[in-house]
Amino acid sequence: MSTSPDELVIALPKGRILKEALPLIRRAGIEPEAAFMDPEARQLRFATNHEHISLIRVRAFDVATFVAFGAAQIGIAGSDVLMEFDYSELYAPVDLKIGACHIAVAEPVALSENDDPRQWSHVRVATKYPNITRRHFAARGVQAECIKLNGAIELAPVLGLCRRIVDLVSTGATMRANGLREIERIADVSSRLAVNRAALKTRPEEIGGWIDRFREIADAPSS
Amino acid sequence: MEKANDKALLPAGLHDGLPPEARHEARAINTLIACFAANGYERIKPPLVEFEESLLSGPGAALSGQTFRLMDPVSQRMMGVRADMTPQVARIVSTRLAHEPRPLRLCYAGQVLRVSGTQLRPERQFAQAGVELVGSDALNADLEVVLLAVESLNALGVCGLSIDLTLPALVPAICRQYGFDEEMTAAARNALDAKDAAALAAVAGAADTPLMDLLPAAGAARRGIARLRALPLGAEAAAMIAALSDLVDGILDVYPDQQLTIDPGEYHGFEYQSGIAFTLFARGVRGELGRGGRYVTGAGKPEPACGFTLYMDTILRALPHDNGGISLYVPHGVPPRRCLELRHKGWRTLAGLEPEEDPKAAARALGCQYVFLNNRIISTR
Repeated sequence: MSTSPDELVIALPKGRILKEALPLIRRAGIEPEAAFMDPEARQLRFATNHEHISLIRVRAFDVATFVAFGAAQIGIAGSDVLMEFDYSELYAPVDLKIGACHIAVAEPVALSENDDPRQWSHVRVATKYPNITRRHFAARGVQAECIKLNGAIELAPVLGLCRRIVDLVSTGATMRANGLREIERIADVSSRLAVNRAALKTRPEEIGGWIDRFREIADAPSS
Repeated sequence: MEKANDKALLPAGLHDGLPPEARHEARAINTLIACFAANGYERIKPPLVEFEESLLSGPGAALSGQTFRLMDPVSQRMMGVRADMTPQVARIVSTRLAHEPRPLRLCYAGQVLRVSGTQLRPERQFAQAGVELVGSDALNADLEVVLLAVESLNALGVCGLSIDLTLPALVPAICRQYGFDEEMTAAARNALDAKDAAALAAVAGAADTPLMDLLPAAGAARRGIARLRALPLGAEAAAMIAALSDLVDGILDVYPDQQLTIDPGEYHGFEYQSGIAFTLFARGVRGELGRGGRYVTGAGKPEPACGFTLYMDTILRALPHDNGGISLYVPHGVPPRRCLELRHKGWRTLAGLEPEEDPKAAARALGCQYVFLNNRIISTR
């Protein structure tokens, strides 16, 4: 283990969620050092006002991995990421009620006009979420062949990589701008407090205390 | 042309145990078995491979996807390589040892092989050690098994041991009390298992039941039990919680400082457990050290049993590393019977096989702290 037992590492996702997550972190009484706010900072690990607590800023998908392996004890991750990995060593005890969006299947508007999803036996889908996609279609008896992309999924149908995509939708503006139409909603998404299972079992008072604190903050009327 | 390194490549999840890891594992298993034996547990040694039908019946069925198969050319029947030793113990208990007086105390240690590793345990081959106490449904049997787990892990020197107690039958009992169907029970179980309050609240009907109160009850044992006792539960569920409470008191009576947590919603991997189950963790170590609990064994004639199994790969990560002890270099020319005398005195000796120019340097090169020179033991430093 790289972290000594009494350290507490909190993994936060870069980008969209970070802006919404930071006020929650602050309300929980954790104040990151100034460099954390600087997107240009080369540093990967940041101190806080608590001597034993540090923050790491990693890609959203990596938050789940860091927490599942116990390299970070606590993290904030979208339920899309947790669903995709389905790690057994990871608990998601608190719905933080931020980062709300959903995962959906989309295809070009023109295609959707005479497409009947009920008749599919096989689909080819570009997505960041191959596991969610395969599970979703398998449950309907459809074999999904996934093309894993890491971003700009909406380009895939536009440039003919494949016709359908599974991606996050918040307002739907990106979809519309690329001539796509949502045809199926897979799951609602919001950010969760993720906790490493072994850390919760071996440090129940401390980690349990943070869970309670974040639960209170999430349940409080939003400011 | 074959390069030397091609031979070094092993299939994924398999590795050569080298010094000092191989020594650590052997020593740890010996310590565990000695501790089990001191508590009256007799060792058994099932075979590495057996017929698929017997290996994968009953509780072994869950391991079907993890079991390597091979065809027995002699009997023309399919065989499986064990992926877990507990189904083998269950088979022995209900057949060859069926007539032995109860309670029956058995222990085992051996290697298991699995088709695929998990992300947290990439090893496909690892050692298991454990005990089974068969033929008693008294709470004292549960207590004996948990105490033995603590005693044996303490004997190994595991730091920061933590025991998580669970009641896999509690959630189904509460679901029955509130008339949930199978689908709702499964949904509630999965949500509780993942500690996902949002998903639990979304299960129809769960919001008005004590299921919602199970999540906050997880944590430190005594506080959690107090919370569970305050819930409006039926007689079946209340009896489970009373037993859990007595077990906690029993453990703390022997080990007052033992860290204990409870998790009334935990379920995964405990599908076959019928009473109290437990998982062993150590501070700062990822993954479980082992797990155990109460279950029903025997296909034709069911018998109560409890036990635990320890995963040696995780346990070795939780152990402080020893330095391998002290060795004495005995240079060339000293007769072997002199080495034997030194070993009788407790030295570990490494003998020089060919004449050496500088015995001290030869000793140092082989990692010996001492060298036997002119009938005296002197330090190599």
